[in-house]
Amino acid sequence: MDFGQFISYIASGTVYTVGVTLIALPSGLLIGTILALLYVYGGKAAARVMNLYSTVFRGIPPLVLLFILFFAVTRGINLSAFWAGSLSLGIVSSAYQMEIVRGALLSVSGDQLMAARAIGMSRLQSIRYVVLPQAVRLAIPPWSNEAAIVIKDSSLVYALGVPEILRRAQLIGASSQRYLLAYLSAAVIYFLLVFGTTRLLAVLEKKLTIPSNP
Amino acid sequence: MPEPILTIKNLTKKYGENVIFQHLDLTVNEGDTIVIIGPSGTGKSTLLRCINLLTRPDEGQIWLDDMEITAKDCDEDQVRQHIGMVFQNFLLFNHLTALGNVKLGLSKVKKMSDEAATEKAMHELARVGLADRADHYPGQLSGGQQQRVGIARALAMDPRIMLFDEPTSALDPELIGEVLEVMRQLALDGMTMLVVTHEMGFAREVADRIVFMEKGYIVEEGSPDEMFNHPKFPRTREFLWKITELYGKKETDTN
Amino acid sequence: MKKRFLLLVALVLVAAMLVGCTTETDSVLDKINQAGKVVVGTSADYPPYEYIDEAGNKTGFDIDLMTEIAKRMGVELEWVDMPFDSLVAAVDSGKLDMSISCFNYDEERDKTVDFSEAYYTTEDAFVVTSAFAGTITVPEDAANYKVGVQSGTVQDGWLTDNLVTPGLLPEASLSRYERVDQAALDLANGRIDVLMGDYVPIQALVAQNPDLQVVYHGELSTGPINIVLPDGDAALKAEVDRIIKELQAEGFIDQLAVKYFSE
Repeated sequence: MDFGQFISYIASGTVYTVGVTLIALPSGLLIGTILALLYVYGGKAAARVMNLYSTVFRGIPPLVLLFILFFAVTRGINLSAFWAGSLSLGIVSSAYQMEIVRGALLSVSGDQLMAARAIGMSRLQSIRYVVLPQAVRLAIPPWSNEAAIVIKDSSLVYALGVPEILRRAQLIGASSQRYLLAYLSAAVIYFLLVFGTTRLLAVLEKKLTIPSNP
Repeated sequence: MPEPILTIKNLTKKYGENVIFQHLDLTVNEGDTIVIIGPSGTGKSTLLRCINLLTRPDEGQIWLDDMEITAKDCDEDQVRQHIGMVFQNFLLFNHLTALGNVKLGLSKVKKMSDEAATEKAMHELARVGLADRADHYPGQLSGGQQQRVGIARALAMDPRIMLFDEPTSALDPELIGEVLEVMRQLALDGMTMLVVTHEMGFAREVADRIVFMEKGYIVEEGSPDEMFNHPKFPRTREFLWKITELYGKKETDTN
Repeated sequence: MKKRFLLLVALVLVAAMLVGCTTETDSVLDKINQAGKVVVGTSADYPPYEYIDEAGNKTGFDIDLMTEIAKRMGVELEWVDMPFDSLVAAVDSGKLDMSISCFNYDEERDKTVDFSEAYYTTEDAFVVTSAFAGTITVPEDAANYKVGVQSGTVQDGWLTDNLVTPGLLPEASLSRYERVDQAALDLANGRIDVLMGDYVPIQALVAQNPDLQVVYHGELSTGPINIVLPDGDAALKAEVDRIIKELQAEGFIDQLAVKYFSE
């Protein structure tokens, strides 16, 4: 097996890594944002429930949740390893993303919300047009960090047999006995994915920066 | 007999055991400029927030024209668009340009078309002398300019009454004049205004009535002449003397 | 209010479990025949039993054997690659119809899944580098050195039961690895002195690394190897056992052993 074949075998797992990330990250964002809005604006009872959600899912290792969802909860249901893995990571990520969005909402809220209410906007309108647009900008740096974590955590679906980068590195490492090269290749691919994503988000952050005089 | 726009009866606000103000009565007539003065921590700002329902009073009633806005079935959002509020710290929407700040309420609350909202917003910005700053973000404007945008934002909703909560306290001395000038012009145009401020020059020149509040009570109210020259209570005299010493010089400097 | 909410959550969870755990009374064999395919799990990182070739396709002793078994069942074969640790759970939860991955019989595993008749019998081996200065004449001698083993394997079980528990080998001297090749790397680096593993793959390892040598081999923990089947599915077990016996009688399995375990 030549070097090109070796690398391309591992690299072809990128499809799964990217696929898992593209499901887990946006679904986590959607759930996380909705829950964060409930947490911040939904009253005391909702805040308590959201706090419980956050504590539970940030407390469970993603791999454990992966196993629970794949082997226990969906027993008999035809949920593929790919989807079980993606959704588990999405749920875990939603708890972290909820905290990110919540922090951003809280640091914008208060006075800005009051100013919006003062011109007669409803609570919902104020959140939609005044708080959220500013919160999004604040959330990008921590969100970029979370995106990097999800990309790396996507490797956990190897445990369910999804042939992503890490699993392919193991397989080809075992068959060729060149496991050091295999794992190094995987590391480089993960690094490139994470680096590219964080760079892209940094550009986005710069683009969305509100102009101001120093 | 002038028509009262705002009527406050027996208003009380507490935070727990802490009484902010108690049994307060106040009437504001159409076209009046009322200036509320008094030491800090006497509930002036809280009173303004109660009037536009950003804070709920514990007791008493408030009427806007003939409508009791403290009534349970009253639509807060409906009420607030008729009461303009200008904040001490401007509180512009940081992610929107000056134009965007003034337009937002027009588009989202009054549901005006983009074209109509832009036209109206530009008109209001021109009124505060900032038409040429329409595409600037708050971070690109001076404090005085930001506060004038804040005034334009409130004016755009065509409010029945404007509330000013220490509109110049956060400004550098050299920027106070431009804001007061806009307010003076508004008063001359017949806008009904309720102003909390320490600017005694403004109070003396523009106010129809001055209300002196202390420790949650209205101590005394009257025309500027009565208040500055013949106050009934020693406390009023004492406060006015102190405040003129502190702020009077600045006022002469800026004018 | 909060308590009521928690109760609700608990009820939903219990309901989900009950629905999930509904036992299928039908044999998996019927399902296989209906679908026209058998879904088989393996951990293709264990040459020469199961591994990938240069084209990335699965190959090995178990792979060839299972291919023949599926052929004789008259159904298509769908492979699912999964790390070894996940395979039993996957068969137990119905994600796989069966699994072939050099499984030894194990009492713990037998509680949740079934085992087919043994299709082959292997031995255990101790392997060292040329730098090794000690001696291992009986397996218990390994207790004097730093030992490495693949975690969760029958070799791990043998070392734990026979050396660690009686106090011969300190727990700290036993390193458990997720995979044999990781242990081999530490053996080469000198982090461990001795590696214990299945004799057949150990031989393959030695063939690839001339510095390694087998100092002992024999039938210790490892008995026969079996296919893992769903628990209590008599019909499927009967079918698989029938084909295994058939293949043994025909000499098919011996031919595979020659092909892959060139001793």
